[in-house]
Amino acid sequence: MNWKARSATLAAVLAFALTAVACGSSPSSGGGGTATPKGTITIGGFKFSEGSVLAELYGQALEHDGYSVQFKLNLGSREVVAPAIKSSQIDLYIGYAATDLEYWNNAAGEATGDVNATTSKLNGHLQSLNLEALKPSAAVDQNAFAMTKANATKYNATKLSDLASIGNQIVLGAGPECPTRPFCKPGLEQTYGIHFKDFKALDTDGPLTRAAFANNSIQLGLVFSSDADLNNLGLVVLQDDKHLEAADNVVPIVRTPVATAEVTKILNAVSAGLTTSELVQLNSQVELQHQDADSAAQAFLQQHNYFS
Amino acid sequence: MSIVVKVVQWFTDPAHWSGSDGIPTRLVEHLQLSAESVLIGAVIALPIGIVLGHYGRFGNVAMNISNVGRAIPTFALLVLSFQIFGLGDTPIIISLTALAIPPMVTNSYVALREVDPDIKEAARGMGYRELAQIMRVELPLAVPLIMAGIRTSAVQVVATATLAALIAGGGFGRYIIDGLAQFDFTKMVAGAILVALLALATETGLAALERVLVPRGLRLLSAPAARRVAFKTA
Repeated sequence: MNWKARSATLAAVLAFALTAVACGSSPSSGGGGTATPKGTITIGGFKFSEGSVLAELYGQALEHDGYSVQFKLNLGSREVVAPAIKSSQIDLYIGYAATDLEYWNNAAGEATGDVNATTSKLNGHLQSLNLEALKPSAAVDQNAFAMTKANATKYNATKLSDLASIGNQIVLGAGPECPTRPFCKPGLEQTYGIHFKDFKALDTDGPLTRAAFANNSIQLGLVFSSDADLNNLGLVVLQDDKHLEAADNVVPIVRTPVATAEVTKILNAVSAGLTTSELVQLNSQVELQHQDADSAAQAFLQQHNYFS
Repeated sequence: MSIVVKVVQWFTDPAHWSGSDGIPTRLVEHLQLSAESVLIGAVIALPIGIVLGHYGRFGNVAMNISNVGRAIPTFALLVLSFQIFGLGDTPIIISLTALAIPPMVTNSYVALREVDPDIKEAARGMGYRELAQIMRVELPLAVPLIMAGIRTSAVQVVATATLAALIAGGGFGRYIIDGLAQFDFTKMVAGAILVALLALATETGLAALERVLVPRGLRLLSAPAARRVAFKTA
């Protein structure tokens, strides 16, 4: 019965590996250097690349200032992360203003293009749960409409309202659901008065959209504003100057007992220093150049003198 | 009941009969994709099947090649050729052509193979050269089976051309894919009905063409048999 011996070995190896992992993860890397820990903050990250980048960014800033930070990266979707903070299993997660508002208000449709209004409404829903949303960052990850650089120059377009007069030369590309979604084609028609030459059903920010940009079969396409490959593809996001899209600015959501004046100050400083193009840069380092989220975040914080 | 009413309303809405997403435009796109694929497929498949069937050699090769073709899922081929050729009609036509080839190779091979050896010998004895024998004796006798192959291919291609919409192509598949994305089930059903109708129309249209192409002698030969069957079942 050879397999018995083998599975025993396997079990031993597994047990050893698990112990090693458990030991390895308890004290987080970095650290402030000062020996007086200010308490432990557990930060949860969404299960996508940008979620880890943002959690590392804010978490390492806290670590630098002497907090001991536990990272729970790739925890899951909002459906997992939000209940976790409600039940105090985590103390902090980095959310997105509009999407989080619509989560916590059970999709009541209150989110608008106005960040501050959206965040204060979000705080209204969070208060009774002993949670609060801090100051939103300028960095956003939301639906956006992009053009190739060549076309943006050709049509002299930097913002969506520039397209109103030349809509008849422009084919819009997005997911097949776009013609029925208020934030998509109908919104562009009503809010901006753009009447497109045609609409091409592709996918939502996927390979079809990229291929259609590449052979110029669309001139305007739906993307997400913090996509890692926007620069590589030579795409520019047109400014949503009439606020059609709900404001999905990056915003830390924290348990009120944890949100001391100092913690709030640290987190707000990170938010204040982050822009969408820097987020694109970070995402591209992690997703396209395959750097680790923690080292990319560390390099970013160092560059921006958080560690000085 | 209500879905039937909704679908009828969808079809009677004039907005669905014009513009770049209207039924006429989608019909032309669908027919164009299918016709191009079947034509290219026929140009490749028929000579192979006819020549191999005429000589009666390498039959296994022909069958195996076309069976391999059948085993490759069209969708996989579509995604692969999209990776290579990018957006446009090319990847769609390539994968539909690959779908169209096998039945035509198999049928034309069998059709030529099944020509009565006595007739071939008689043709040879009367002084027909190779090419003339194929063109004037064997092919006319093989028309019913060859046409059956073309019909099978065409119906398959018309039904499968709906996949084009998955990589942003046109055709009736657009209604099915868009309907799914928009939770517009009326549109989905309408698209499915349109595809089914078009496949049926293809089948009957090619059957009519076949009747024209089959030589009179063969028609007379098979007519009494057909009548007899009809008589029995009646």
